[in-house]
Amino acid sequence: MNRENLRALFTAKSARVDTNKGEKYYQELYKRCRARLDELAKMPAFTKISIKEVLEDEGVSRRDFLKWASAVTAMLMLPSSFTPLVAEAAELMNRVPVIWIELQDCAGNSEALLRSDGPKIDEIILEIISLEFHETLMAAAGHQAEKQLEDAMEHFAGKYLLFVEGSIPVGRGKEWCTIGASGETFEEHLKRIASKAAAIVAVGTCATFGGVPAANPNPTGAVGVMDVINDKPIINIPACPANPANMVGVILHFVLTGQIPELDSLLRPKFAFGYRIHDNCERRAHFDAGEFVEEWGDEGAQNNFCLYKMGCKGPMTFNNCSIVRYNESVNWPIGSGHGCIGCSEPGFWDKYAYERPMADANIKMAPGGGVEKSVDEFGLGLLTAAGVGIAIHAAASAVAGKKEGDDK
Amino acid sequence: MKYKPIKRMTLFMRLNHWVVAICMVAAVITGLYIGHPYYQTFISEPAVSKYVMAWNRWVHFYAAIIFDVSSIVIAYLYFFSRFDRPIKKLIPTAKNLKEFFAVLVNLITLNRVKKFDSSHEDSFHVVYFTIFHLLLAWMLLTGLQLYVHGLESGMSSIGKWWPALLHFATDWTVPVCGGTKMDVRYVHHMTMYYIIVWVMFHIYYVVWRTIFWREGDIAIVFGGYKFKKS
Repeated sequence: MNRENLRALFTAKSARVDTNKGEKYYQELYKRCRARLDELAKMPAFTKISIKEVLEDEGVSRRDFLKWASAVTAMLMLPSSFTPLVAEAAELMNRVPVIWIELQDCAGNSEALLRSDGPKIDEIILEIISLEFHETLMAAAGHQAEKQLEDAMEHFAGKYLLFVEGSIPVGRGKEWCTIGASGETFEEHLKRIASKAAAIVAVGTCATFGGVPAANPNPTGAVGVMDVINDKPIINIPACPANPANMVGVILHFVLTGQIPELDSLLRPKFAFGYRIHDNCERRAHFDAGEFVEEWGDEGAQNNFCLYKMGCKGPMTFNNCSIVRYNESVNWPIGSGHGCIGCSEPGFWDKYAYERPMADANIKMAPGGGVEKSVDEFGLGLLTAAGVGIAIHAAASAVAGKKEGDDK
Repeated sequence: MKYKPIKRMTLFMRLNHWVVAICMVAAVITGLYIGHPYYQTFISEPAVSKYVMAWNRWVHFYAAIIFDVSSIVIAYLYFFSRFDRPIKKLIPTAKNLKEFFAVLVNLITLNRVKKFDSSHEDSFHVVYFTIFHLLLAWMLLTGLQLYVHGLESGMSSIGKWWPALLHFATDWTVPVCGGTKMDVRYVHHMTMYYIIVWVMFHIYYVVWRTIFWREGDIAIVFGGYKFKKS
């Protein structure tokens, strides 16, 4: 371990959230945001769609839009005086070009945006951003699509936000994953497009920490964007899928301030990942009371008891889904009766996503797999071994031991 | 036959021993419940009037903080005690190494070989206790890391310095344990078993010495004295 790593250990940016940075800070920030928005407004819009028209078409009133704007202002941890700026920033979002690429994943994050019962404001906003390239959504294919990507990269060089969905295979299996007619690997593809991006937003747990493709035994050697790219600002929005509200939050923050939001040590925006699910959970009272669901569908489950004994990982997971929920606050996993699986934490598939409490989790005792035991099983084995050792020593002492003074 | 009393533990050391022993039993009982709630609460009354998990955590945290303070005091006494400084027996000098192996040989040979003076604290025993205190320190660091997860606002009833200190002092345990917050939990839970194994041998060894050395070693922790034939 080199000195730099050692230093990083003790100065890790923790999840600590500073929700009030003082009036002076916000006045400065307001001025900066104002100037930034004025500048953006003078720039030509990359898409001709205006948010006002789209919202009208979808039947969202101006009042609903402003309600949404004040909610987003609160989510971004800004004072309420910023609400008009946030609304304005939403209207100017078509000034920021976005390139969206998909690597080793299930397209679940794109699906999360697209497959809602009716477009919510978050999703509408994501529709009007200047999405220059998105394999799943665009009409073009093959060479035509590649041409479009080339053009976008050339035209918006140094300006576009690169959204990455999916993990990057860098191990022995990386040649299984190629893209386009030139057959470049995902790693080459990402590096090429990232080289001209203003900033990279890794969306979903695969792009941030490797996610499910990186789960044991990780056949392709999958890693997250931050393990491949180290010369660009990276914002991680983990979760499986990432919450559209947090994607919009990050883009809005970028449009508003021209900067990336404050990040924690895992490069996750603190406004979204600063709080623990457990501490804002609607079932927390049942946790404190010791009322747990013992099996699916039992009396406790019918009464919305705590899911800790069914393996809920809310106490170890930092995310805002217990606050903002999914699909415009309709519901979220714990609300629908299944525990949290810690999908926004690194290594979640191996270390969080099992329907047992931590003490009963099977963990790999030998590196590379093989023997799986729970901590308690291993611990009881340890106690048994110690007991047997003591018993043997005691028996041997009783038979052959020498007591002081016996030889007199 | 006359026995000479030899003072081995001061009143403070004995009190500390029993406080720590009680804390440990309490922390194990409540810690196992926190890791996997092994008994159910009566569900006939509403959640607001019972706090089974909350009380378990309350007992666990108080046991832990008493443990922690005791550890800090003991660490101080290792160096600066006016009674007996364990650090003197911990430095690997030739004399201490010789004594360490002499005591180990005594244990392995079932007391058939005994080539050391058992009236005072020996190197083997000090090393054994140092292992305990290192395990406790590790429990303290991992435990406080788990604790600070609930203080994400950066505030606490005693001020902002407390979570800030905890982050500074314990954030490094996350990468050391394996990179995720869950790993810290595994390790914290696993360390409990190592400590229980330590206690099993500790109790056995004291009883064994009492039986085979015939110097009343088990009386030390109650009365402070052991007795040697003069």
